[in-house]
Amino acid sequence: MSNPAVVVDDVSKKFRLYHERNLSLKSAVMRGRTSRHDEFWALRNVSFDVEAGQTYGIIGSNGSGKSTLLKCLAKIYWPTSGAITYNGKMASLLEVGSGFHYELSGRENIFLNGSILGMSKKEIESKLDSIIEFSGVERFIDQPVKNYSSGMYVRLGFSVAIHVQPDILVVDEVLSVGDEEFQRKSFEKFLDLKREGKTIILVSHALDTVAEICDQVSWIEKGVLRQSGAAPKVVEAYRANASD
Amino acid sequence: MASSPSWTRTYFRDVRNSGELLWNLTQREVRGKYKRTALGQLWSLANPIAAIIVYTFIFSVVFQVPAQVGDPSGLNNYALWLVCGLLPWMFFNATVTQGVRSIIDNANLVQKVYFPRLVLPVSLTGAALVNWTLEMAVLVIALAIVGSFVWPWLPLVVLFMVVLALFAAGFSMILSIANVYFRDMAYLITVILQFWFYLTPILYPITLVQAQSDKWGGLLGTPVTLEALYKLNPLEPYVAIFRDLLYHNTFPETGSIIAALAWAVGTFGLGLFYFVKTEKRLAELI
Repeated sequence: MSNPAVVVDDVSKKFRLYHERNLSLKSAVMRGRTSRHDEFWALRNVSFDVEAGQTYGIIGSNGSGKSTLLKCLAKIYWPTSGAITYNGKMASLLEVGSGFHYELSGRENIFLNGSILGMSKKEIESKLDSIIEFSGVERFIDQPVKNYSSGMYVRLGFSVAIHVQPDILVVDEVLSVGDEEFQRKSFEKFLDLKREGKTIILVSHALDTVAEICDQVSWIEKGVLRQSGAAPKVVEAYRANASD
Repeated sequence: MASSPSWTRTYFRDVRNSGELLWNLTQREVRGKYKRTALGQLWSLANPIAAIIVYTFIFSVVFQVPAQVGDPSGLNNYALWLVCGLLPWMFFNATVTQGVRSIIDNANLVQKVYFPRLVLPVSLTGAALVNWTLEMAVLVIALAIVGSFVWPWLPLVVLFMVVLALFAAGFSMILSIANVYFRDMAYLITVILQFWFYLTPILYPITLVQAQSDKWGGLLGTPVTLEALYKLNPLEPYVAIFRDLLYHNTFPETGSIIAALAWAVGTFGLGLFYFVKTEKRLAELI
């Protein structure tokens, strides 16, 4: 048995739901420093391991806490208690084209976006041709991205993201960008990563996709882990529960 | 949540590793700003030039501020004397007014990707530093033309540009987080900067303040003088240092150097501490 690539150990996340949040100095001064809030546990004592090389799915209905879990995995939120440990370099893909600057050219934005996603300049340079080719915007690569169609924009963003090549990839439902042909191409690319032995954590509503490509699945409900196990079994249980 | 020493260490490692990201974000600010304008980067010189013309007319021609003779440089030119103090201020002003919004303006980025948020205010400082360097280059040429022997002092000028940049970066780091908690910080700071500008001896020499201070003596029966209050202003030593080096061509006073270094290290350190402490919660506070 190999080492787990990601260990989610007893993770809980509490949010404050503010009734009257002191977002201005005036209100802070008028009311004193107190602001009224309720506590809300988006995640409670969630634990699971992701083995290296696995494709791991996280499913759950809206408001189940799976997005919070995703953001905790992507290091955007930090657990209130518990810990997540990574064995390898982690990169997250929650949005395509993060930090694109409208006035800069596609080429300049590849470098900008790539470094935001954690690639070094050398790495980007060596993959530049492949990124441009995959995006299919060769002709417009030196045009400012403000002139891009929304399709071209997300294709370029996705193309950069898919070239990051971390050991562990945390993905939101961004697989479905661009037209049908591009979607097929990106799905292929995704399977390539899987074949290369990358660890992938996927948060998705698309149950068929999850059942098809994931090895293991965790089902989150109201912030609590309902069930973890082999993909078909958990997806089945989730479906049965949803139709009740 | 207490920040464990291991978190602090992890954080500083992440910060050290984000050099390229910092560079790229700085370039984004510099290049994106004047992209596809006819004059491009030259626009960044438009503001200082307009300010110099206006202030020189008002303070040198209308109000007739006493002649500022460079010692030992022998220069006698109000406009140049003014610019030596005005450019550092304009750099500080630009860094702070943009830096205070840096986290809020990049909310979408902060909520979608992990990277040390520290690079956001620092990259804006870097972008402002690029503009300032350009302005300083023009100033040095102008000074050389009118006979200031500025060349030997340039290494020190560059050094203190870095020191002021540290101070400005630290200050905008603190403000950028404060602005996440209190959104009106950005508006408040523009008002404060107005006062700050006129309370710093940039348009007028500090000798005028000293004369008034001597006349008044201790304020309200205390031993505190007006001049002593003026020296509390963190920017006062910086303005004095840049004038000494560029206009007077002399070594700055030790007191100014110590004050400038202390403000820079203290403020930057406080900014770092503040970021280490709140970084983890920024995404949910936005």
